[in-house]
Amino acid sequence: MEPILEVKDLTKKFPQQGKGDFLAVDHISFRLDRGETLGVVGESGSGKTTLAKLVCRLTEPTKGSIRLWGQDITKAKGKQLRKTYQNIQMVFQDPVSSFDPRQTLGAGIGEYLRNAGIAKGEVQARVTKLLEQCGLEAEFARRYPHEVSGGQCQRAAIARALAVKPEILICDEATSALDVTVQRQIMELLWQLRDSQGISYLFICHNLALVQAFCHRVLVMRQGKIVEEGTADEVILHPKTEYARILADSVMETELLVGEP
Amino acid sequence: MEVAGARKKKAWKDRRKCRLVLFLFLTFALLFVVIFAERFCPYDPNLQDMSRSLQPPSLAHPAGTDRFGRDMLSRILIGLKTSVASALTLVVIITVTGTAAGVICGFCGGILDSAVMRMADVCLAFPGLVIAMAIAALLNGGITSAVIALAAVSWPKYARIARSRTLTLKSADFIAAARLAGSSSAQIILGHILPNSLGPILVTAVLDIGAMLMELAGLSFLGLGAQPPTAELGNMMSGGRSMLQTYPWVVIGPGIGIFIAVVIFNLLGDAVGECLDPRGRQEKPGNYINRKGENP
Repeated sequence: MEPILEVKDLTKKFPQQGKGDFLAVDHISFRLDRGETLGVVGESGSGKTTLAKLVCRLTEPTKGSIRLWGQDITKAKGKQLRKTYQNIQMVFQDPVSSFDPRQTLGAGIGEYLRNAGIAKGEVQARVTKLLEQCGLEAEFARRYPHEVSGGQCQRAAIARALAVKPEILICDEATSALDVTVQRQIMELLWQLRDSQGISYLFICHNLALVQAFCHRVLVMRQGKIVEEGTADEVILHPKTEYARILADSVMETELLVGEP
Repeated sequence: MEVAGARKKKAWKDRRKCRLVLFLFLTFALLFVVIFAERFCPYDPNLQDMSRSLQPPSLAHPAGTDRFGRDMLSRILIGLKTSVASALTLVVIITVTGTAAGVICGFCGGILDSAVMRMADVCLAFPGLVIAMAIAALLNGGITSAVIALAAVSWPKYARIARSRTLTLKSADFIAAARLAGSSSAQIILGHILPNSLGPILVTAVLDIGAMLMELAGLSFLGLGAQPPTAELGNMMSGGRSMLQTYPWVVIGPGIGIFIAVVIFNLLGDAVGECLDPRGRQEKPGNYINRKGENP
């Protein structure tokens, strides 16, 4: 399979006062194939979110390169960056704060469509279609982000990300802020989109059970480095490193705790 | 008990709305009087008649006459017009320039940000009115130079508010989402950052109208603002200050004019601030009551 996204030696340093630089992401390389779902797991502060922001160019990398379809987008600016955003989109952890509180959900989705060059008259119809695709009725376009539930808002956020028909969708803990039943619904939506549109996912998550069920391959991150890489079953059921084992065990323990009240 | 609490809360909110409506009405009444001041004047405010100078308030001259026999009521109305119009112009100027400077500095950061903000710090470190006096004295006098002088020292407050709002908003997820939408920086500033930081800026602006009225009148009182024979409340008071004990109406009349205008604008500012207060805006019914019900 051809790689759709190739990341090489990606590094991000944050300068710290008094101390040396803080390496949030430390020489990370990976590839994402077409239609593949790559999970990224790791404890809080292991650099997962920074990695997501680097890949979609919301933060500038210190070093390394990002290639989309073989084209270097590490230094993309202006027009080229806008074009990149037609291919890479992101779903944030907190759906409500990912929408402008003073704009309706429809206006938020419309911003993507208008910037992508969709005619003004057509925008509303497209918004309705996108919302329906994500299981929301058309009237949600007129609601404000604080007027809908977290799950509904996350559906709208996914609809928004799909507005430009991206090939890669980065989910930064997209289900963590939702409760379990809603989480399941959102996962089903993501699943269905993968099957129907062949979207590749970079799926950042700390729920290993979810990762095992949803991802083809998994990267385990710790202190900005990739400590283990492999298929989901390999990494979670037969971890090679101590850290991955601890991560996997912690999930098992929780399951045991939940199982035996 | 719980229902009573809810009702009380609602009544409180309604009272706030009532206050806002009342003060808005008063403000509009004041603006109406000010805009059509010429129509309300019983006499020509600049018509001198030495035979009727310094007359106490009477039916013919409800606020008396000044040293040159000019009708005080007419002069107060026209003076109010000058004062309010220049104060409003001043507030508009400092709100627009301060907000623009703050938002651009906060958004772009870097050297521009440091340079402009250090300038703002300098302005804030000195007593504003003193620098304003110096600037007004350097310019050629008149109400315009007083407005320019006060504008030069008053914008930093707005720049600071706008900058801090911008810095908070800049790291918000919805700004990242707007970037992913392919919006340019200008689009993000105009479409997302400005609308979301306008609330506190507008409250400050409304609250500032009263203060700016006072400061403008202060400069005029010192002879650095409107020059006679222009009717302006500050210089009218200044012109009559030597007669405070013998012919008090010459000073008290304009004083009452300033007082009324400042009080109305300050009350309006408070009411607007209360209504935009984030604590009052969360309209989740019964949130507080539920919590109370759970822990008896």
